[in-house]
Amino acid sequence: MLISCAWLNELLDGPAIALGPVHDKATRSAADIAEQLTNLGLEVEGIAYFDLPDVIVAEIRSVSGHPQADKLHVVELFDGEGAVQVVCGASNLPSVGGKIAFAPVGTTLPGGLAIGARELRGVASQGMICSEDELEIGSDGEGIMILPREWAPGTRLRECIPGIVDAVIEVSVTPNRPDALGHIGVAIDLAVALGTSTRTPKLWVPPQELPIDASLVTLAAPQRCGRYLGFALEQVAIGPSPEWMRVRLHRLGLRAINNVVDITNYVLMETGQPLHGFDRAKLDERRVVVRMAAAGEPMTTLDGAEIKLGADDLVIADASRPQALAGVMGGADSAVSSATDQLLLEIAWFEPKGVRRTARRHDFHTDSSHRFERGVDHGGKLELAAHRALELLRSLCGGVCVARCEVTGERPKPVEIRLRPERIGALLGMTIDDDQAARILAGLGIRVDRSQAKAWRCTPPSFRPDLEREVDLIEEVMRHHGLDDLPAEHSPASAHRQPLAEDPLRRRVDELGDGLRGVGLHEHLSLAFSSEQALAPFLGEGEGDRLVRVRNPLRAQAGVMRSHMLPGLLDAVAVNHAHHSRPISLFEIGRIYRWPATQPALEPGPTSAVDRDLPEERTHAAVILASRSGDQHRVERPATRACVEQIRVALGSLGIHAEPRPATPVAWLHPGVQVGLWLGDQQIGVIGELHPDIVAARDLAELEIGYGELWVDRLPMSFEPRYLELAKFPSSARDLSLDLADAITAAEVLVALREAGGVAAVGDEQGDPVELGSAADPHHAIEALEEYRGKGVEPGRRALLLRLHYRARGRSVTDSEVQTLHDRIVEAACAQLRPIDPNLRVR
Amino acid sequence: MTDPTAEPSPTQLLERERERFEAELADAVDEAAIYQVQVRFLGKKGSVTQLRKLMAKASPEERKQLGQAFNETKDAMESAMEARRKQLEDQVRELELSRRVDLSLCPSPRQPGSLHPITATRRRLERVFHRLGFDVFDGPHVEAEDYNFDKLNIEAGHPARDMQDTFFVLPPGAKRGDEPSNFVLRTHTSPVQVRTMLTHRPPIKMVAPGTVFRRDDDPTHSPMFNQIEGLYVDRGVTMADLKATLYNFVSAFFGAGLQVRFRPSYFPFVEPGAEFDVQCPFCREAGQGTQISRGCSVCKQTGWIELGGAGMVHPAVFEHCGIDPEIYTGWAFGFGIDRMAMLRYGVPDLKLFFNGDLRFLEQFPC
Repeated sequence: MLISCAWLNELLDGPAIALGPVHDKATRSAADIAEQLTNLGLEVEGIAYFDLPDVIVAEIRSVSGHPQADKLHVVELFDGEGAVQVVCGASNLPSVGGKIAFAPVGTTLPGGLAIGARELRGVASQGMICSEDELEIGSDGEGIMILPREWAPGTRLRECIPGIVDAVIEVSVTPNRPDALGHIGVAIDLAVALGTSTRTPKLWVPPQELPIDASLVTLAAPQRCGRYLGFALEQVAIGPSPEWMRVRLHRLGLRAINNVVDITNYVLMETGQPLHGFDRAKLDERRVVVRMAAAGEPMTTLDGAEIKLGADDLVIADASRPQALAGVMGGADSAVSSATDQLLLEIAWFEPKGVRRTARRHDFHTDSSHRFERGVDHGGKLELAAHRALELLRSLCGGVCVARCEVTGERPKPVEIRLRPERIGALLGMTIDDDQAARILAGLGIRVDRSQAKAWRCTPPSFRPDLEREVDLIEEVMRHHGLDDLPAEHSPASAHRQPLAEDPLRRRVDELGDGLRGVGLHEHLSLAFSSEQALAPFLGEGEGDRLVRVRNPLRAQAGVMRSHMLPGLLDAVAVNHAHHSRPISLFEIGRIYRWPATQPALEPGPTSAVDRDLPEERTHAAVILASRSGDQHRVERPATRACVEQIRVALGSLGIHAEPRPATPVAWLHPGVQVGLWLGDQQIGVIGELHPDIVAARDLAELEIGYGELWVDRLPMSFEPRYLELAKFPSSARDLSLDLADAITAAEVLVALREAGGVAAVGDEQGDPVELGSAADPHHAIEALEEYRGKGVEPGRRALLLRLHYRARGRSVTDSEVQTLHDRIVEAACAQLRPIDPNLRVR
Repeated sequence: MTDPTAEPSPTQLLERERERFEAELADAVDEAAIYQVQVRFLGKKGSVTQLRKLMAKASPEERKQLGQAFNETKDAMESAMEARRKQLEDQVRELELSRRVDLSLCPSPRQPGSLHPITATRRRLERVFHRLGFDVFDGPHVEAEDYNFDKLNIEAGHPARDMQDTFFVLPPGAKRGDEPSNFVLRTHTSPVQVRTMLTHRPPIKMVAPGTVFRRDDDPTHSPMFNQIEGLYVDRGVTMADLKATLYNFVSAFFGAGLQVRFRPSYFPFVEPGAEFDVQCPFCREAGQGTQISRGCSVCKQTGWIELGGAGMVHPAVFEHCGIDPEIYTGWAFGFGIDRMAMLRYGVPDLKLFFNGDLRFLEQFPC
């Protein structure tokens, strides 16, 4: 909302606001007003200053053709002191004696153009005859401004046209303050703050004897229209508005159209009440009907849009068809035109939510709908707007009001609010004097009955629909008292507040982030939006229906909430790949979104009715390592192995010792290069090389990409270390080299050996048997040292070198008992693995 | 006169062995070689040990003299070996000390990992609020409209609903279209307030940091961003308490002595509502008694930084959450974590946070 300080000066008593950026300290300035407005909760976005100090009225003395150019004229002007010659290209030059706006040499126009003495095709030009557009006082750039003939040459234009000099404050009005969407409403707020009063603009109040024509307005939808005032006017002369009105509308960002339309806009900006003028001659039976539209009924709006109405749309129709979308936009058929001489003027209150639905349905947002949605006045300001418009139509268009009609439907009822004055201090934590509070409320138009000292009865005016409860009144007092002296003072705290339980997942996520950072990874956050296409490779059979889709995405490629972490991380890899060639090592911990496959069983609680229907939001931690490929043909790519190691180390720092074992296979990793991370029978993640098809589809084939993800919800939520006794006696090691098929993983060998070790025991006579165990590293009784392929090992097979450690708890072990146990374990493990690989053997 | 053909005397033999010993010891370059020399001369079958047997043939007076010569030779040899050992050790040590390695050379240094600046800022905020006695909660990102709007006094059909551009979520299985669904991507973390009030009795003192979504994408807005909200509900909680708490927070986060100010504003879930500003910490000068912020590019020359919104919990919100507003009052505040991170680290563009460029991320190792 743009607020003109020149206009405020007309509406406020007391010293005028200085309209220039420079002013003496004693004067009330636009900047002071801006600060005051901000303190009142009408946040100021900026102030723009306007002036035309040097442009004057000049009279045309003679016009002749330019000797060198057909389209140019040589004009002799009288500027009040003497003759001046200018060359002008305008086609609408008035005849001799006409007055125009003249910028003499030395003037700088608002757009920055400096006027100097020039020569145009050999003819001297001492200044410029200006258009509205060039002076930035109107939008008409077609021709020069033609001024009233009676204006005296040499007068400064700003002295002839009020509003040229102005300071316009841009205020962002919050949706609770429809009253501040007009200058009068802002003036009321300011008057209280400045300790002054408001002035009422000139009105034309219809006399008692003005005929009431009940046929003028028929209300057929009283639930959607609370009040409708219709006035019939005749002898309306359509023409351009006077300069002062054109300038003012322009300053407020509106385009001048004709005097009637301009008056409705002007009164809208003045009072905040939207109005509409119908060309009454175009209305069937010269009357309006306020009714619901029939579904499918067509209408053409003022801006030329052809729309199909719905049964929920309120329209202003004539006897046969809709002529306006109530509260939103007028219709083209009955629009005021240059031929109009009879008007039906509408000032109404429409039900806000209905206006909003209609505006949204037809995708309109107009100055009118903006105000109706927020709630305009259905009381005094409605009448004020009508009387103001009638006065302007009378004085500027010659319009004669011949009849009136008022119909009423369902209107909001006035509320009476109980205000306990002690509550003001109790809520704010500062003392505000009762009398001051009452004064503020009364100044804002609220009727305050203080007959009960501890519970005032307050009735807000109908132009403040936001005032509904006691706290709303307390806020009004606070706004006007100001917050500068609000102390920073703690309330007495309840002694019995117990800290609530910490969310274990939040803590775990932070710990995991520390762990992943600790192994040298960089945390990335991607936007949680993705697309069907990007997610397709990660969806299982029938999982497409589980995607969480956004109805109104910003872009089609961002229409789905991610169900997998990889698309976002691959985007980041692509960004890096495009900018540098360094190895990329990123991690991200975030949520993935899917509708649940089956309705989750939730413990009943206050939010379970809502939670039951929400999508699943699982937390995943994902790691991606990418580097430029070395040899394309080698079997082993280091990025993936590094991924396994880094994730395991990071997990280790959380006390989680996950075992790499064959994964439940996933289609988006290389089928031969993937591994699961397991805690017992529970898989907690998967790591592998990105599937070559996905790499190729993303145009990243130059990179080797290792990816791993952890399903954070499945991690143990806490870890309490338990002391393990330090070994006092040394352990003894035996190496084992196995020749086995590629199909058997090291993890399976380890499991087989460990299981075999669990049942075999040697030297149990003393109750302290020899068993698998390392004195140096209790967590690693068996080590997989290395693999070997090549000479002596057939293709498709490999040699795996392992080291097994043996110990007893309370004694040293002997070579022979270690050897016996080792042989037993190896034999049992091999027996277990031979069904997979009959050729398995000890080398 | 000595007969050259005559057999050498034991003394002469001893002398000869001694010369041989010295030559061989000089050739010995390590401990093992010295040991070999020792074995050859002084071992059980060593040459000097063998010569000792000649003593048996000598006359008693010769024997005494000879014995003395043997002992002297043996002692001399042992100390020579000891000296040689020491000499060799010294040489080894000197050689070791003469090694030169250029540790200033780091061909491909390992880099530390990094936490995202938003994560780092969120954690710092959480730590500060935890110290001030707040519990920390989060909630779902896909939220019921009821919790995101209605319970927060943002009723359907009211323009306040337009204050935040909302992403609506289609019902399960629907691919497009206008099928009604009651779900949105939460536009603020305020639904966590609702959830906390629905599940816990006052007193409640919590912050909710989290990811939120708004349909907005321009240089200063991202459709996904992070904010933190605070909520305090108890008997007799005042707006002055809110100011005191924000003051404490600002001191703990930005440094002591910065002023906080409120400007009245409107958020449907608080009444009265306000925006709060903090004195710019980036251009402050310690004055006498009070801090003065002179104005800089961060605060756009105003000396103040707009931080967020705040106010007293609207009684309608309490009623919707089953809390009696006649008994309890409370305040709430909220501000952007991402914006805080931009301020703190001088990041000029929000987009940098979300595109994953390593050269950006690695600038924040802690």
